[in-house]
Amino acid sequence: MSASIRSMSLTVCRAARAAYRASNPATRSLSTGPCLRTESNPAEGSWGFIESTEEFRFVERLIPPSRIPNPPEHDGPAPSGWIPASASPPSLPYMIRRSRMHNVPVYSDIKHGNQHSTLLRKVEGEIWALNKDVKEFLLGLTGKEPPTQVNEVTGTIRIKGQFDKELKEWLLKKGF
Amino acid sequence: MFRATLALCGRTAVKRFISSVSGENLLPSNLRLPSNLIGVGRQKRASPVGSDLPVVHRCEAALPAHLAPVHTWLESLGSCDCDPLGVVDLHPDVFSVPVRLDILHDVEVWQRNFKRISHAKVKSRAEVSGGGRKPWKQKGSGRARHGSIRSPLWRGGGVAHGPRGPTSYYYMLPMKVRVQGLKIALTAKLAQDYLHIVDSLEIPTPDPHYLLELVKRRQWGDSVLIVDVGDEFPQNILKATEDLKTVNIIPAIGLNVHSMLKHESLVLTLEAVKFLEKKLLWHDVRYTPLYPFKLPYSDLP
Repeated sequence: MSASIRSMSLTVCRAARAAYRASNPATRSLSTGPCLRTESNPAEGSWGFIESTEEFRFVERLIPPSRIPNPPEHDGPAPSGWIPASASPPSLPYMIRRSRMHNVPVYSDIKHGNQHSTLLRKVEGEIWALNKDVKEFLLGLTGKEPPTQVNEVTGTIRIKGQFDKELKEWLLKKGF
Repeated sequence: MFRATLALCGRTAVKRFISSVSGENLLPSNLRLPSNLIGVGRQKRASPVGSDLPVVHRCEAALPAHLAPVHTWLESLGSCDCDPLGVVDLHPDVFSVPVRLDILHDVEVWQRNFKRISHAKVKSRAEVSGGGRKPWKQKGSGRARHGSIRSPLWRGGGVAHGPRGPTSYYYMLPMKVRVQGLKIALTAKLAQDYLHIVDSLEIPTPDPHYLLELVKRRQWGDSVLIVDVGDEFPQNILKATEDLKTVNIIPAIGLNVHSMLKHESLVLTLEAVKFLEKKLLWHDVRYTPLYPFKLPYSDLP
């Protein structure tokens, strides 16, 4: 009794699957190409099958890349507000590289809830000239010269106060 | 005595005054080589910029716009006295990085210590045999009060704060720090003229004396580390370096900071240079790992 119901449900499923495959064009590629085919009658006892690695492309396209892609060419700012670095580096004695996500390396930091500082990283070349320029710019902006800490070994400048937006725009205007 | 010290101070002050006034840049006394030293002094080779030889290898990866490639000679191991075959361009982000000695020190110390398991173990008072019973009663014997004969105060007792069991000194520096250490070591070798690029490792004889003669003739230093890519090395060089203690050969995946600092000179083949540039530059442009890099990604180097 249960066996007959089981066999009936199996045949019903198979018919439904065949009908679905016939109606839905997307599954045609799955059914017509070489695929894992089983013997139509399991009651015979021999399960022959054909191995195929052609479907592995569906797995391969899901594997993520490991490299950060270069952004497409933009003339001027992108709709998100991102501005690419100028193709030729500006003729200044220092150079500020972009981060690996192609952003300007200016970061703001807060310690103990009240100590604000701004960190300017990835500086190459004359870091003291950049320090002088940064101090002049911030003097013009705020009216007082903020204390800065220059680390020549790592190529970073830490500025007291939170100036990350202003510094980013200033550096973008310079072309870094 | 006071007069003698005054005279001495006066003499050294006069010497320093003379050297500063004379204007010539004298090396400090611990760096000056005596003139009667045996063995020819090592001279730095001429820079390959402006030579007629062809540029054999250009950098495969894209260079940053503000940096120019570093140039070095391409040599051959075929004969002892051989002129350079050409000029090789090296990527500045691998062979011309700022030399951070603190990172180099950190990587070298890590390499020494992360494998270390110290098996030193001593018995504590609980592990030393015996000492369960109170040796004499608390009061009345006239002797100091003790609870067991194996306490650390006793001769033959356990050690109070000794080394306990196998201790592991394992720690991992961040991957990018280790990569930066390799780049800094390569930069330092190139800057000190201890890096030599060779087209292939084919030598005419499996005789170790040939290699020693070559190293001495070309003034490569006391010890040489030879690096090539792949599993197959020419039989001659394998046989030649087998019994030599100061000339060693390793595959490119085995390159590490400790070996580079231990050997005075580093010899890379062109293939090894390409391999190293590809692998080391990938770390500058990679995402943070979603899952460990041991598992497949679509574009691992």
